[in-house]
Order: sequence, then structure tokens, then C-alpha cells
Amino acid sequence: MRIGEKLAQTAAILSLAAFASTAVADEFVVGSNLPLTGPQARWGQEVAEGFKLATEAFNRGSAKHKIKLIVTDDEGNPAKASAAAEKMISDGAVALYGGFPTPAVVGAANVATKAGLVYMSSGYGGTKADFKNFFQINAISGYQKAIAGTMLDMGAKSVSLIHNTKEGSAYVATAVAKALTDKGVKVTMHPYDSAIADFKPIINKIKLQDRPELISMVGYESEYIGMLRAAKVLKPEVKAIVCAYGVATPKMMADFPAELQNVYGTTMLSYPAEFATKDGKEFAEAFKKTFNKDPDYLAQFGYVSGQVLFEAIARAANAGTIAKGGIAAEMRKTDRETITGRVTFDETGFNPHFVLRMGQIQGNKIPLIWPKEAATGKMNFPGLPW
Amino acid sequence: MFDLILQATYSGLLSGGSYALIALGLALVFGTMRVINLAHGEFVLLAAYIAYTVESQMGWNPLLALPISVVVVCITAAIVYLLVTRLDKNREMNSLILTFGLGVILTNLVLFIWKADIHSTSVGWFQEAVVLGPLYSMRSELLFFITSVVMVAILWVWLDKSWYGRAVRAVSSNRDAAKLMGINPHVTELISFLIAGILASFSGVALYCASVIQPALGNALTIKAFIITILAGIGSIPGVLIGAVLLGVSEALTITLLSSALQELTGMLLLLFVLLALPNGLFGRAGRRG
Repeated sequence: MRIGEKLAQTAAILSLAAFASTAVADEFVVGSNLPLTGPQARWGQEVAEGFKLATEAFNRGSAKHKIKLIVTDDEGNPAKASAAAEKMISDGAVALYGGFPTPAVVGAANVATKAGLVYMSSGYGGTKADFKNFFQINAISGYQKAIAGTMLDMGAKSVSLIHNTKEGSAYVATAVAKALTDKGVKVTMHPYDSAIADFKPIINKIKLQDRPELISMVGYESEYIGMLRAAKVLKPEVKAIVCAYGVATPKMMADFPAELQNVYGTTMLSYPAEFATKDGKEFAEAFKKTFNKDPDYLAQFGYVSGQVLFEAIARAANAGTIAKGGIAAEMRKTDRETITGRVTFDETGFNPHFVLRMGQIQGNKIPLIWPKEAATGKMNFPGLPW
Repeated sequence: MFDLILQATYSGLLSGGSYALIALGLALVFGTMRVINLAHGEFVLLAAYIAYTVESQMGWNPLLALPISVVVVCITAAIVYLLVTRLDKNREMNSLILTFGLGVILTNLVLFIWKADIHSTSVGWFQEAVVLGPLYSMRSELLFFITSVVMVAILWVWLDKSWYGRAVRAVSSNRDAAKLMGINPHVTELISFLIAGILASFSGVALYCASVIQPALGNALTIKAFIITILAGIGSIPGVLIGAVLLGVSEALTITLLSSALQELTGMLLLLFVLLALPNGLFGRAGRRG
């Protein structure tokens, strides 16, 4: 055979191989309902960014399976979340991922359950999810351990806990209160409605009646700022202010530096972000390159959720069980190290290994200060924004 | 306990003042035209976001955004008025639907331009504490309250003493008779909307300085303004301030003495009781003729 014919044959074989490899790449639709607008928009957008990055990473790394991502803005509204879930299922989604707050997750998860699909979340604030095929890498117990653990390490004897009455915040607050009460800490609860504009009456009650050592806050961004400003005016005699989610993030620190100094909040990442593992560093680099900013912990949750979900879809596809509830079965078999730690799922769908960390805003940095084994800095304790 | 109640009353007074400034524009338009402008909260929000833009993009003090806010919000108010005038039948009901829709459009416009992040002024002066004996407040809250009282007074005097003010009252009282007296009701109604725009601008800029803004806020502001307008009664400008203060103090005392989770319920119960006892509101008069 002449060289020219050999080359032509080789080119033909290679072309066929390339065509064949693209021809057999299965595409699976994954739907995501998140609050991209509304009060939880900042969180929804960060999670969406992490999830999108996971999609791109998976598609780059998999020749056999591709994920087509549909993202719908549900504004954090339960009715819109349900409608979004229905629409995405009718568009062929094999699994769904969502969002915040808890009522929106419940709305969409119910729809997914009725359709027999997996629903994965990063923002369900309950301790028990009554949905079949529900999965979440960040269990509420992880928030409770971090918030209560930090306050117990501070040696708190009394805590005033201010919390939004919405489901997720109320769950976290109740769990934290129980964990503290079980250790002999006196806890006074102050629930509030989202419509509240002036927190001074609550802070004044805490200042004059409760007189606690610590104040803890569980709510949403605008509420944290309102509470902290009221506290800066009234200056209750406390030693520290410990918040829940959405506070210890670079964006909040940049937007509200005066209000957040020395305030604690849950996080997975210090700022500037420090990753010890190769996966972590790759994630941080890819995130920075794609979004031109440092990742925060919510983006991590979105990323890891995507990794775990897409791998389960791929395994189910390989086994030919997608149509027979195979994704849920593969999710239950998950046992993987990730940039947020080990991920498995118990019978409730939560990851029992999840433990959040606590950061404290110190100057223009957010070092991790709890647990000790993950700490990148020391607590400024006692320390307040004023 | 006395200190708690005193501080709660003071906080409620200041909150009430801010509610009054937000509600004043809606009350004026409702009094003049019997139109409930459900986009009023979005006017306030627009002004607040203009203040944010002036501070974040130009580095100016947000108070300097007032002239720009007034122009932009008044143009928006004029557009809303022109659309309302297109309604031929059942204006009172149809304007509700129209202005609700316009409110949704404005909210989404705000979202599109400024995204969903929360914002507040970074000028620390506004958040500094003002201590009057046992009473605490932020500078911005006190400023908001004083502005509100001044604007109520100016509006009250304007309605009473100026020609256009009396024209507004005449149209509000009897549109047909006002026409016969040479008053152009369309011009008068447009003036009402423009003044509502000016009031919304002041309250929006004050809101940005005193609180945290986000696109979803407009609807909540409209509802609060509407409750206060009904509480006050049609045609009563001082009634708006009194009704707003009553609401603010009730909410603050509920939070202090009962639970903060009951704050919104207080407003609704207050409205219910007042309407049952005084169907025209605290200071309202019977409906207009014509």
C-alpha cells in the first residue's frame, strides 16, 4: 500500500473515531431552581456559580456523558420554585438541584418526589427531609455544630439568640439553642418576622433584660446588617456576636466593613482562600478564571453538589438504570472526598460527615477560627464591631 | 421595664416618622384622585437606588442625589399618571391593576439595572448613635424623622395657602364643581403625582441612608404606605403623620412587650380596629362628590 493510501486510511479511521466518540456522548438535562433575584439572591448566585463550574468541569472530563444545565430563577418563592421544577421536569430533567430558602426547597422537592426524580439541595434548613430521593451535602447539624461549638469554646454561660421565623432560620436557631441548653448555657430566643425594619427594640430587650455574654443571629443579609447597626447604637455589654450563614463572605466584608468587624459567621473558606489540596487549588483557580473573583463557601457547596450529582448520573447511565431510579441508588452509594470533606448520604439524604467552620472578620481578612484543627487564625475574643 | 418602654416608644416614633414620609405621596394621590398608586413603593425604591448610584459611582454623599432623584422619579410619576388617565371606565379599580403592573415593571427594571445585592450607605456619619438621655437612635433615623415632619408641614401649608394646593383640595372634594370654578383637574392631578414623586424622592434617599435596600423592598413599602393612608383617612395630611406614628409605636411596643414575630400582625389589627370604629379612618371625611 502506498504511503498516500495509508495516510488516507488513517485519516478516515481517526475521523470515524472522532465522530463515533461525539455521537455516543449522552446528554442529560439537570434542572436547577435558585433565587437569582430577591432577598436570597446573593446566596443563590454564588451557589449557581459553583454548580455551573462543576457542570463545565464534568463536561470537560467526560467524553461519554454530558450535562445540559437549565437554571431557573425562583426568587426564593415556594410557588415559583414548584413551577420552575415542573417546567424543568417537562423539559426532560433527570435530576434537580436547588436553593434557598427552605420553603422554596420544599416546594420544588415535593414536585421532584412526585415525578420520582432526585432532588439535591444546598439550602434546606430542616433536620429531616420527608422527600424520597432528597440529598444534601451540608446538613443543618453541621451549622449547629459550628455555631454552638464556637460559643461553647468561648465559654459562654448565657446567649441571646435572634432569629428569623422562616423555616430554615428557625430550625438552625432551635438546634443551636438545644445544643447550648444541653451544655447548661442559658439561652433566650428572640424570633422576628422578615418585615421588621428596626431591630433596636429587640437589641434593647437583650441589653436591659437578658444581659447575655454573647449574641447570636440567624437570618438573612439585610437583617444581619440591621441587627448589627442597632447593636452598634445601643452597645449591649456582650463579648461577641456570632452569626450563621451568609455573613463571613468576602462580599459582605467588602460592602459592610464597619458593621462586620470581629463578627463570626459560618463558612468553609478563609479569605483570602487557602486550599491545602490539589482539588481545592484547581477549584479556586478555575473559579477565579471564570468569574474573576475568589470563591466563597456557597460556591463550594454548589460545586461539590454538582460533582457528586453528575458522577451519580454518569454511573447510573453506565449501568443503564437512569429510567429505573438509578440516580438515587447511585447517590446513596456515594463515598467521596471533596473540597468540603467526605461526602456520603445517610437514610435521610444528609451527609453525616459535614461540619461547617467558623470564620471571623478581622480587618480585611476572614481567618477560620473553629474548629481548631481547621483554624487558620486566632479568635479576637472578646471582640465587637464597636 | 420603664427604660424598655421608653426606648420602644422613641424608636416607634422615629419609625413612624419614616413611614409617614413614605406614605405621604400615596395619601396625596389617593386623596386627590381616589387612585391607589401601587407603584408608589417603587418610586421610593428608585430614588434609593439613585442615591446608591450617586454614592458608589460618583463618590458623592448620597444626600446630593436628591435633585437627580426628584427629576427621575417625577418623570416616572408623570408617566404613571398619563397611563392612569387613559383609563376610561372604573378608574378606581382598574388603576389598582395598572399601577400594580407598573410596580412589577419598575421592580424588575431596578433588578435589571442594579442587580439583587443589598446596599446601604457607607457614610459612617449616618449610622452614628445619637444619645438623648436614656434614648438611642441613629443620626439617619433622626434626620428621616425631622425631614418627614418638615415635609408634612410644608405640604399642609401648601395645600392650605397656595392656589394649587387649594385646587388639589377642591378637586379632591368635588371634581365637577372644581371644573366649574376654572380649575383644570388634569393639571391638578398631574401636580399631585409630581408632588408624590418629590416626596418619594426624599423618602427614598433617606431610606438609603438609614436602612438597607434591595429590589424586593418596593412592594413592602407600598403596603405600609397603604395601611397608613387608610388609617389616616382620606384628605388628612397630618393624619398620615399621626397614623404612621401610631403604627410605628404599636409595632415597637409589640416587639418589646410581646414578640417581634407579631409585629406585622399589630399593623393589621390596628387597621381592622380603626376601620371598624371609624370607617373613614382616624381623620377622614366622607367621600367626595363628582
